[in-house]
Amino acid sequence: MKKVYIIAGIMIALAVSLFVMAKDDLSTYASISDAITTGKRVKIAGQLAKDKEMTYDPQKDPNHFTFYIRDASEAIQKVVLLQPKPQDFELSEQVVLTGRMQDDTFVATDVLLKCPSKYKDEEINIKEKQG
Amino acid sequence: MTDQIQYVGEHLWPGRIGQPAVFLAFCSALLSALAFYFATQKRANEPLATSWRRLGRIAFGIHGAAVLTVIGCIFFVMINNYYEYQYVQAHVNDDLAFRYIFSAFWEGQEGSFLLWMFWHVVLGGLLILSARQWEAPVLSIVSSVQVIIGSMLLGVYLGFGEEAYRIGSNPMLLLRDTMNIPLFANAEYVSLLEGTGLNPLLQNWWMTVHPPTLFLGFASTVVPFSFAMAGLWVRDHRGWLKPVLPWALFSGAILGTGILMGGAWAYEALSFGGYWAWDPVENMSLVPWIALIAGIHTNLIARNTDHSIRASYIFYALSFLLIIYSTFLTRSGVLGETSVHAFTEMGLEWQLVSFIFIYLFLSTYLFFSRLKGIPVVAKEETTSSKEFWLFIGSLVLLFSAVLITVSTSLPVYNKIREFFDPGFVGHVITDPIPHFNKYQLWIGVFIGLLSGFSQFLRWRESNFPQYQKQFWLHLGVSVVLAAVFTYLTTRAIQLQAWQYQLLMFTGWFGVVTNLDHLIFFLRGNIKVGGSAISHIGFGLMIVGVLFSGLNQKVISRNPFLMEGLTANEEAKRNTVLLIQDSPMIMADYELTLRKDTMDYLTRTYFIDYKRLSPTGEVIEQFQLSPNILYDKTFTKVAASNPSTKQYWNRDIFTHIAALPPEEMDIDAKKAKEDSLNYLPFTLAVGEKVTLLDTVPIEDRDTFSVRTVDLELLSLSRNAAHPDYLPEEGDLAVGAEIRVHNSELDTSFIAHPVIVLRGQVLYSFPAQINPINTRVKLNEEIFDLVYTPEGKLGYQEYDLAAGDSVRVDDVTVTFTGFNRTPTHPNYTPATGDIAVGATLQVKAASGQKFTSEPVFFIRDSRPLNLKDEVTEAGIHSRFVSLDPQTGKAKIFLAKAPPRVPQAAFSVATKAYRTDWVALQAIEFPGINYFWIGATFMMFGLTLSMVHRIRTQRVLA
Repeated sequence: MKKVYIIAGIMIALAVSLFVMAKDDLSTYASISDAITTGKRVKIAGQLAKDKEMTYDPQKDPNHFTFYIRDASEAIQKVVLLQPKPQDFELSEQVVLTGRMQDDTFVATDVLLKCPSKYKDEEINIKEKQG
Repeated sequence: MTDQIQYVGEHLWPGRIGQPAVFLAFCSALLSALAFYFATQKRANEPLATSWRRLGRIAFGIHGAAVLTVIGCIFFVMINNYYEYQYVQAHVNDDLAFRYIFSAFWEGQEGSFLLWMFWHVVLGGLLILSARQWEAPVLSIVSSVQVIIGSMLLGVYLGFGEEAYRIGSNPMLLLRDTMNIPLFANAEYVSLLEGTGLNPLLQNWWMTVHPPTLFLGFASTVVPFSFAMAGLWVRDHRGWLKPVLPWALFSGAILGTGILMGGAWAYEALSFGGYWAWDPVENMSLVPWIALIAGIHTNLIARNTDHSIRASYIFYALSFLLIIYSTFLTRSGVLGETSVHAFTEMGLEWQLVSFIFIYLFLSTYLFFSRLKGIPVVAKEETTSSKEFWLFIGSLVLLFSAVLITVSTSLPVYNKIREFFDPGFVGHVITDPIPHFNKYQLWIGVFIGLLSGFSQFLRWRESNFPQYQKQFWLHLGVSVVLAAVFTYLTTRAIQLQAWQYQLLMFTGWFGVVTNLDHLIFFLRGNIKVGGSAISHIGFGLMIVGVLFSGLNQKVISRNPFLMEGLTANEEAKRNTVLLIQDSPMIMADYELTLRKDTMDYLTRTYFIDYKRLSPTGEVIEQFQLSPNILYDKTFTKVAASNPSTKQYWNRDIFTHIAALPPEEMDIDAKKAKEDSLNYLPFTLAVGEKVTLLDTVPIEDRDTFSVRTVDLELLSLSRNAAHPDYLPEEGDLAVGAEIRVHNSELDTSFIAHPVIVLRGQVLYSFPAQINPINTRVKLNEEIFDLVYTPEGKLGYQEYDLAAGDSVRVDDVTVTFTGFNRTPTHPNYTPATGDIAVGATLQVKAASGQKFTSEPVFFIRDSRPLNLKDEVTEAGIHSRFVSLDPQTGKAKIFLAKAPPRVPQAAFSVATKAYRTDWVALQAIEFPGINYFWIGATFMMFGLTLSMVHRIRTQRVLA
């Protein structure tokens, strides 16, 4: 058998084993209860609970922003984001957080916001009447 | 409804040219593809093939002209701000600087498709001129791609039974054709339209150069692909290998440059804090490039040895297919929340999917139907030959491409699973950056090693035993040198894990071996040294990645610790609060926020950096000026632009992560102002008052009490404030109030101002940031400072200099005229004749005051300005002057005397607004990365030039 084939075979085996190993890097979007029970580092997706308070006092700690999210099963969870408060946070439709549960709060290091599209129909800018 | 309306102010003719041009571009591409197809199929019949080819050329020419016309029309309507066109409305506004018009053009999907088509037109034209016998099959493929991309712009609806499918999105449509809103019932709607404008993040120099370069890179992959397809098609499996090589090298250089420009943009203009983040969009432009580089290597093998022809077909085809796949991923919205890049969905998903499958089927069919005829060398490569190890290198590259593609395609996999099983819960990569780094590190190690020693090997090695002495000598020296360099670099930076040390070694190994190759094998002949130079570049890039990626030093380390965090989590907390004029020491630096300035929508902050020695002496000093950009209505922060101090061996990068909420958002400012608890006071000048301020103590049910002393120092009827621009007729009252805080035992002077302009009040409060106190003047101050004219009973007096009159119990003496009057409300204008009447006012108490009403003639109109002695209650107007007698006509009135008073309010729990949350990071050795990248692209270009030159000599 050709050597290249052997090497290619090794590579394929390696690739497969790497993908199997990479399973550890994967997670599903966890629900809040999953995050609580596993205690692992997970991604959770939810909506900002607008009726709950948001606290960001940069003079105390600029990397400490607390808020509440509500997930698909209507569970509510307090979140501490270890970053300054993202821009347009209140406008977000969905919040994806990466982090883990610590005691009763979800400590998140990364956040991704899904904001409403800028180009919505019916939202045409119209000049203010002059004079 | 809209049919009957005669619209006013629409410019319809660019659309009447542009829209047919879109169709013409589509149809002529189709004709060109077919004509070149027949020119290829009938190639045995020379005259027939020639006439087909001529038709193909004409059609391609028309296609090119049509594409240019569409682009020209779009630019025309964009430059002229014709908002009745949907594309203009969506991407331009009146404030857009002309230099960003290109960015605005390719901000939209339609514009970027046109940019792609434009480059295909240019490349196709060059191929017609240079491809000789390959012209017909290659152009047939290129034109067919133009048909598909052209269809993305058609914007027509096809009906299948009940449902209508839209094909493409036409950029030349009028706004009223794309939506139905009541606005279009107004015949003059055009004059009411305003543009949405360009996303502020894209208003950047990089956005003018990055997209065209990247799209030229994208477009250029069609050439190797078309050559490969042409080779299979006409069963000339060796012939295409030579003409394709310069094109592939060109593509590698341009696509690589385009990707790197994206990295440079992210690093220099965005606040990502890095040049590569393994974002899906980045990955999917990198992967086709990797496949292309693998193809270039197998192409070289095939040219030199006849091995790897099949692999060359596969890699070149893969590169183009991955480009289309990447287009699909980035434009279909499937990536959703996994990418920071924002995509607007165009509703063309199925069209993009068909794009992929058409070329996937075409290439698979051609490959397998021709497979038997593709030459294969029976004898296997020897392990001591260059071709063997080059092929292994290509496999490693393929391996890398597969790993990245599979990981990035996870959202696609999720979508497919969800389609069959709606209950399926999609997977995500929890932390993408470590995930990709972990695997690609090994790719780097292998490529570093392979690109090093394979340079010393020879093609079709048949006599290795004789050559091996030289081989091992060079290899040995390189290993030693690379080890020395690695040792030296590990002294400069921290490389904890042995994997990183190994990668550093292979990086240096690649640099040293290729340098060796360039000097001793090529005798320093740069012309043929493209390969060596690009591999040196690769090695340097690895070194740069390790330097800048692993040894980023966060200067702005957060001083507030939080319990229970892991080291990684704590490392993410890398912004600090910097208060104006209060220096803060962090890492080796002392940072001070000096000031901020506004220039239209840009607010620039100036931050002094002082680098300190361990003993605290200042070693060097510089200033960085990151800025933030407000959106055009001034209500929100739209973008934050970093500022970087560059050294040869490191960068100091800084950007503003947050501002006081009130400074970021006008609604927050209003809400904050409304929530403040203002206490009202009325004080006379010189009067003092003390207020008790209770401060809750955190976590305890007690309060601390501090006192705040307030004293009105002075009042001014002609107040100035940095934010206030005076206008004629304004009543502007200012006060000077001393605020003494017992806690700090410091006095601060506040200068609030209130202005009445017509019926509108403008308040300019004073913010005393160190004690979180805000002082504003109340509306009642106008009644305290001004007496309404109607309530005054003026008496008329004709006075000569020296005359005295008694008004009630006050004596007023007219002492003379002042030719250069200085009345607070008087601003001299040219042509004015202005005189002041100086009055001595003696109150019943014996107190003396001076008053000076002003009379002046402006534009032959007599005008006067009153003056007032509040303490004596004397109001005076100087209404006319008799030139004959020299007497002044003066109106005097007496009101109850009073002490000047100010009504103001104080809030003690205002938040301070003079700070920024700042991120400052030191990137060591980032220039190794950029230099390496430049070398790599330069090497590819050099090889291309060399190949073109040798081909020309041989031809």
